[in-house]
Amino acid sequence: MKNRTARRISAGISNFIIIVLGVGMLYPVVWLIMASFKESNTIFSDPALIPKAFTLQNYARGWKGIGIVGFGVFFKNSFIICGLSVIANVIFCSLTAYAFARLRFVGKHFWFAVMMMTLMLPTHVTTIPRYVIFRSLGWIDTFLPLVVPKFFATDAFFIFLLVQFIRSLPKELDESALIDGCGKFGIYIRIVMPLTMPALITTVLFTFLWTWDDFFNQLLYLNSPAKYTVPMGLRLFVDSSGMSSWGPMFAMSVLSLVPCFVLFFSLQKYFVQGITTTGMKG
Amino acid sequence: MNKKARNRAIRDNLSSYAFLTPWLLGFFLLTLYPMLYSLYLSFTQFNILQPPQWIGLRNYFVMFIGNNQFPRDERFLNSLFVTFKFVFVSVPLKLVFALAVAMLMNQKLKLIPFYRTLYYIPTLLGGSVAIAVLWRRLFAGDGVLNAILRGAFNLNPPAWISNPKYALYTLILLSVWQFGSPMIIFLAGLKQIPREYYEASSVDGAGKVRQFFAITLPSLSPIIFFNLVMQMISAFQSFTQAYIVSGGQGGPLDSTMFYSLYLYLKGFGFSEMGYASAMAWVLLIIIAVLTALAFKVSGSLVSYGSGE
Amino acid sequence: MKKLGLVLLTLLMSATIVFAQSGTVTLRWAYWGSESRIKRSQQAIDLFMAANPGIAVNPEVSGGTGDHFNKVDTQIAGGSGPDIIQMGGNINDYVKKGVLLPLDKYVGAILNTSVIDPSAIESGTIDGHLYGVSTGVTMPALVYNKSLLQRVGAPLPKVSMTYEEFRAYLVSLKSKLPAGVYPMQDIGALSSNSTPFGYWTRYNGTPLYRAAASSTAVTAAAAQKYFELFKDYRDNGLVPPPDVAAGFAETNADTSMVIAGKAVIGFMWTNQLAGYQAATKDELELIEFPGAAATKALWQAPSQFYTVNKYSKNPELTVKFINFLVNSPDAAKVLGNDRGASASATARAAGSTNVNDQKVLDYLSVSGPHSSKETDHVPNDTEFNSTLYLIYQKVAFGQISPAAGGQQVYDLIVRLIKK
Repeated sequence: MKNRTARRISAGISNFIIIVLGVGMLYPVVWLIMASFKESNTIFSDPALIPKAFTLQNYARGWKGIGIVGFGVFFKNSFIICGLSVIANVIFCSLTAYAFARLRFVGKHFWFAVMMMTLMLPTHVTTIPRYVIFRSLGWIDTFLPLVVPKFFATDAFFIFLLVQFIRSLPKELDESALIDGCGKFGIYIRIVMPLTMPALITTVLFTFLWTWDDFFNQLLYLNSPAKYTVPMGLRLFVDSSGMSSWGPMFAMSVLSLVPCFVLFFSLQKYFVQGITTTGMKG
Repeated sequence: MNKKARNRAIRDNLSSYAFLTPWLLGFFLLTLYPMLYSLYLSFTQFNILQPPQWIGLRNYFVMFIGNNQFPRDERFLNSLFVTFKFVFVSVPLKLVFALAVAMLMNQKLKLIPFYRTLYYIPTLLGGSVAIAVLWRRLFAGDGVLNAILRGAFNLNPPAWISNPKYALYTLILLSVWQFGSPMIIFLAGLKQIPREYYEASSVDGAGKVRQFFAITLPSLSPIIFFNLVMQMISAFQSFTQAYIVSGGQGGPLDSTMFYSLYLYLKGFGFSEMGYASAMAWVLLIIIAVLTALAFKVSGSLVSYGSGE
Repeated sequence: MKKLGLVLLTLLMSATIVFAQSGTVTLRWAYWGSESRIKRSQQAIDLFMAANPGIAVNPEVSGGTGDHFNKVDTQIAGGSGPDIIQMGGNINDYVKKGVLLPLDKYVGAILNTSVIDPSAIESGTIDGHLYGVSTGVTMPALVYNKSLLQRVGAPLPKVSMTYEEFRAYLVSLKSKLPAGVYPMQDIGALSSNSTPFGYWTRYNGTPLYRAAASSTAVTAAAAQKYFELFKDYRDNGLVPPPDVAAGFAETNADTSMVIAGKAVIGFMWTNQLAGYQAATKDELELIEFPGAAATKALWQAPSQFYTVNKYSKNPELTVKFINFLVNSPDAAKVLGNDRGASASATARAAGSTNVNDQKVLDYLSVSGPHSSKETDHVPNDTEFNSTLYLIYQKVAFGQISPAAGGQQVYDLIVRLIKK
């Protein structure tokens, strides 16, 4: 009885701390949502949080997109690019990470250092030579330059992430599997993949979110408006030398957060206790 | 016997390299050439639209030394200084905050899915225009913060975001506030600590604090290390937030002129892609040295699994 | 069996011919703009394509000048530049780097320049060759919040004032405005501040740059006077203190102090009026920079240019399309004044007005006589703007004296001319 009360009190304190901190976190998104219901000509001139007049106009106009291509098309394109990127990163980054974390081979430290180095060069200076490569392949104005590199595990961030997670798995696990007659690939599929589930979920999540936001590459490689993506579409509402549509921009910004919310909310439940070593050993 | 062992070693190597093949192909086909080309460009004057011209070490000379004919680039040194300050203040703060929140989020509460999403919101907003607008609303001379300071404490606070003394700190705060990515990674790491470790120590009568230092920290050390290295690398390359908050100018008075922002301005704005490439390689060397140092130090502090 | 083969063969051949004929030429048109410009441009494209079967136009549109030029630069460096490139004040830099096509040989036959304002043609002519066709005319102006003045019961400013009158007006405003609202934004705090500064140098008869002689008339003392002018405004609270001013980047309506209601007067180009007006319920009006009437220091500038990539595979069709855009009355009707008030007589004859367009036209009719030929842009336009901004801030924050600032500006201009 006493124990239960103590637990309730401790849960209450936790909830309280979380909520107080959370109000600060929530403010921006509330502001963004409110702005999306304001009339364009009041967003920057009227500082009040709550709009004086609610309007759905922004959503209606925003969804029509840039007049020649609707915003739905931008969503579709972004989904295709993000979906393919997620699949590619989960498979190929984890394969590479497994090799670096668990396998023995000549030149391992060298290649690992090289892999880390690819993270350290600012991408702005490799933009032009990369563009030349993709142009010589005839891939300009297609999704290929945005997606194909992920099938070659070029996102070193996730390799390093998975390396760290795989290395922290108890080694006895694969030793016992080796005894059971599993090959390297068997260990990868049957032991490493399931046990690093939280890290793989993280990879899925971050790949999606970061690809969803990756404006610069999409700007460079996509030329036809029908192939434009969500972040490109958002930028097209705003132009300093002409008419900007702030209302529709904020409305579509809110809408573009929805897939991210949904994905995050549905994936976070997979952050569950991953390993039960006793079960494996038994 | 010896030959057999060698054959096995070769076979072992080959099968390991099979796992590495996609990455190796990607490296040689897509990554290596752009990297080498940018290294070459760093020894040239290259305005993007005309062929690069070899100028030897002049770009590097202008950055650090300079003379009458090619005066030293003070804006470069300033950007380096600003970036170091940013990295060394923001990264530790962000990591501590992210770990603390991750532990809060690792509890069994009914509303935890909702809370986790809530706490990830700032990170979701990323580099959108809304952030720029919002940060101005919070930290401008007549912003929300100052309204509180004036009302509650009768102070006369400065315009934080546009005052050269404080502008960088508003960006540090922005960076700490977007702690979602390391938090999620910490959370994933916490989930991977075998429950039995805690159960066993509970039986031994260890308190929460002792558990944290005896179990959580050591078990999490590879992940802490990962977050430290990656946050450091990305903080050195910080670009988007400074770009949108300062309207691409790194102002006021270059006080938020991050290294990458200046590099971008030089490369695409001032059409000095050769100089920008040289800057990129200087940054690579700085980051590489610090990362190598981190790996060295980590050898004694990070424990990997029970097998090593 | 043989017959069938023959039939198949003919079918196949005719199919090839049909496909070969339907193979259209696609022109790539790179420009920056937002929703309304994209819609208008697409309508013009549709009209052109209807009249010219076999030619398609793909708009490669980016949301702003920064995105646009990053993309275009990368494309040109990668060997796949677009056919038509929308260009701004940096046209000289692109001409100098040899990436644009001289249009002289198309003039007359394909490109009808006889109906375009000579001044517009002149501004697109560099080193004796026509490189850019003006999309329309714009002028620098001061904008003020009329509704705010009426709310506080202050008099409205005259369109044309001398610097003395202007200062007196600002002083009279100051006493009427509530705390935290300033008579004018510190217009040196803009990222495109080469325009207000450029005006000041013209007003003093020391223009920034003469391309023909590769020289500047600006002196350190002349630049110093500019810093002192604004120091006087700043010290007397006519413009905000430096940290408040720096909070508004003035790149667009969202970062405008006037739109935020914190300043009465700000700076803009006339073609931005509609965009700014759409961001506030208050009514905006235009006035001249002080002293323009006596010195003719204002100028009309092309708001943008259409230029052609030197490596375009279809230069003639590209020029034909440009001719359509600038001269066709049909195109003028759908394009409106979005890229500036048209410089073509045939296009202007088509006419179309709304309130904002009318305000701009009224302003142009007053200021037109108060202007003279545009000064050449200082080479490396972007770097000039960015560095001038930094120097201005150093002076504003009191890090360096106006005299030192003047010297640094002079050194900057000399360095950029040599670069």
